[in-house]
Amino acid sequence: MNKFDAETITTNIFQRLRKSSFNIGVNEYIAALDAIKGEMGTGSLEELKLILQLLWCHSLAEQSQFSFIWQTETAQLNEVITKTPKQVLQTEEVLETIEKTLPPQQEQLNLPSPQLTTPSLSPLPVRTPFVPAQIEDFPELRLYFPVTRRSLAYLWRYLRRPVADGPLDVLDIKATVKQAAQQGYYYAPVYRRREVNHAHLLLLVDQDGSMTPFHRFNRDIVETAQEDSTIETVSTYYFHNVPAKYVYENSHLTNPVPLDQVLAECDSDTSVLIISDAGAARGYRRMERIRATTEFLVTVKQRTNLICWLNPMPKERWESTSAEVIAYLVLMEQMNDDGMSNAIDIVRGSVV
Amino acid sequence: MTRYTFDGKPENRPNSSHSQSPAKPEPYIADLELIQAVNLAIYLRRPLLLEGEAGCGKTRLASAVAYELGLPFYRWDIRSTSKAQDGLYTYDAIRRLHDVQVKQLDPNLSYNPSDATNYRKFGALGEAFNCKDCPAVVLIDEIDKADLDFPNDLLTVLDREQEFTIPETNEIIKPTPGNEPIVIITSNKEKGNLPAPFLRRCIYYFVPFPNNTERLQEIVNAHYHNQKDNSPKTPPSTKLVEAAAEKFLEIRNAGGLFKNPGTSEFLDWIEALQNFASKPFTASELKNSKRIFFPELLFKLRADLQKYVA
Repeated sequence: MNKFDAETITTNIFQRLRKSSFNIGVNEYIAALDAIKGEMGTGSLEELKLILQLLWCHSLAEQSQFSFIWQTETAQLNEVITKTPKQVLQTEEVLETIEKTLPPQQEQLNLPSPQLTTPSLSPLPVRTPFVPAQIEDFPELRLYFPVTRRSLAYLWRYLRRPVADGPLDVLDIKATVKQAAQQGYYYAPVYRRREVNHAHLLLLVDQDGSMTPFHRFNRDIVETAQEDSTIETVSTYYFHNVPAKYVYENSHLTNPVPLDQVLAECDSDTSVLIISDAGAARGYRRMERIRATTEFLVTVKQRTNLICWLNPMPKERWESTSAEVIAYLVLMEQMNDDGMSNAIDIVRGSVV
Repeated sequence: MTRYTFDGKPENRPNSSHSQSPAKPEPYIADLELIQAVNLAIYLRRPLLLEGEAGCGKTRLASAVAYELGLPFYRWDIRSTSKAQDGLYTYDAIRRLHDVQVKQLDPNLSYNPSDATNYRKFGALGEAFNCKDCPAVVLIDEIDKADLDFPNDLLTVLDREQEFTIPETNEIIKPTPGNEPIVIITSNKEKGNLPAPFLRRCIYYFVPFPNNTERLQEIVNAHYHNQKDNSPKTPPSTKLVEAAAEKFLEIRNAGGLFKNPGTSEFLDWIEALQNFASKPFTASELKNSKRIFFPELLFKLRADLQKYVA
C-alpha cells in the first residue's frame, strides 16, 4: 500500500482536471512533477493530494471538485494494488484500506441557524454581509454566463472620451526639461491637467416578460457600468418590450420618466446601449413591435448615432423574428465577449 | 544550493541572518497544510496566494517565514493607486534636474547628477531581485485593492523569466539563479476574483479561522510568549483564555453577524480582559455574566453591536 507511482497519479489527475476545465496548463503540470522530484508529496497519498490541491485549485469550489476527482482516481488505483499481490484478502483489511484512502468527511458548513428572538427594532444592515468565498458553488448549479463581470469591467474601460480638465497634478517631465533648457536654469516643474473620462452612457434595459431569464445579466451590466467603470455619467432606464413615451428609473418598472426628458440630456457624443431580446426569445415577429421600435430608434437617432443593440439571444435565434428586422435598423450584437466588445466599439464611435 | 524549509518554529532561525530580516519574532501558529504550502512555494518559487477572512493572520505569515529562515523581508502594501512598476523601482527625474542646478552653486553636493543610478529607488520586488546571496521574502499585501490590470502587469516579473529593465539607467535587474524571491500575496476578494492567468501561476491556500478552543489557546500562548521580555503585559491565565475562547466561538458560531470577528480581534479582546481594568476579569465572571465585556472590540457594525448589546 505504501508504494505508489506519484507521477502516474499526477498525470491522470491532471488530465481529468483539464477535462473538468480547470485553469491549469503544462507549466502547472511540470511544477507538480518538479515538486515530486523534490520529494514533496511522495510520503503518502494524503501528502500528494495536498500538494496537487495547493498547486492546481484556486478556490474553495475547485477544491471540493478536486476532492471528488481524487477520490475516484485513487479508488481505482487501490483496486489494482489490492487485487494483484494476494488473491484473497481479509475483508476487514480491504475495508481498512478503502477507509484510509477516502478523504475525511467534509466539514459541515456552519450555516447560521435561524434564531428565535422576540422581534425588536434594529437598524437595516449597512451593507450585505461579507462572506469570503465560504459559499461553495457546485458545478451542476453554476449559472451560464455569456459575459463575466470581470470581462464586463474590462470592456467598459474602452468606452472613454478623455478630456484633460482634471486636477493639475500630472508631472510633465519632457516639458520640464525643455523649459529648463530654454530658460537656461531650472525653475519649477511643469504640470499638466489629468485626463478625465467624459463619456456619457445611456443604458436602456428591457425588463420582465421574455427578458426575465436575463435579469441577472441586466443587473451585472448595469452594476459594472455604474460601479466598476470610469464612465463619467451612466444613466440607466428600464422599459418593457419597447421604450414607449415613458421609461422607468427602476428595474421594477416604477418611477416613470418621459422619454423626451431622457433624450434631452443626450448630445451627439452620448453612447446609447439598448439591451433587449427584440422578440427573439419567444421567436415571433410582430409588426406592432417593429413599428414601435422603429419610431423609437428614429427619435434617438435625431440625437446621436452612437447606438447599439445588445441581444442576449444567440444570433441563430434572431432569424425570422422581430429581431431580424430590427437588426437592419440598428447595429445589433449578440451578448457575449466578442459582441460586447463590438458593441462598445460602436457606441464609442469607432465603427467596426 | 541551500534548500530552505519552513517549520513554523521561530527558534530555527539561523544565527547568521540577513540584516534586512525582521528582528522581532512573529508569533504564528501555522497549520500543517499551510506549512506544506509555504514549502512548496519556496521550492517551486511560485507565488503563494493567501485568501481568507479579515483578521486571520494572512499578512503575518510572511514575516514569520522571513524571521524563521533569517531571510530579508520586503513588504509592499497595495493601494488603489498602486502601479506594478512601483514595486520594481521609481525614478526621480525632477530631483536630478534640480541637482544639476544646485551643483553649479554648491559644488560640494553629495549627490552626483551625472550618475542616473543615484536617482532610482528600488521598490520591494526590486530590492528582492537585488538580493544576491539569499532569496528574499516579499509580501504583496491586499493585492485585490489595486486596479483591475495590476495582477496582470505583475505576471511578467513573477514568472519564470524574472527580470526587468530600467530604461533611465540602462540596467537590467534580475535575481541570481537560485535566489529568486519568495513571494507571498494576500487578498480578500474585495473586488471579485483575480484574473485567471494570474491565479494559474499561484499556489492557493485559504486561511481558515481556528475554530476550536485549543487552537485559540495556542495562538494566545504564542502571542504572549514572544512578548514577555520587553513588555510589561502579563499573560492571561489558561482558564481565562479558555472561557474567553468558548464565549468567542459561541458568538461566531451563532452566526447572523455581518462581520465575524477574527483572530486579531480575539487577541485584542483577551488583552483588554486581562490588562485593561485594574485587575483582570476571572473566568467565572466571564462565564456567568450575560453581558459581553468590551463589545466594541468584537463588533464593528452597528447592527451587530445592537444584537448583543441591548
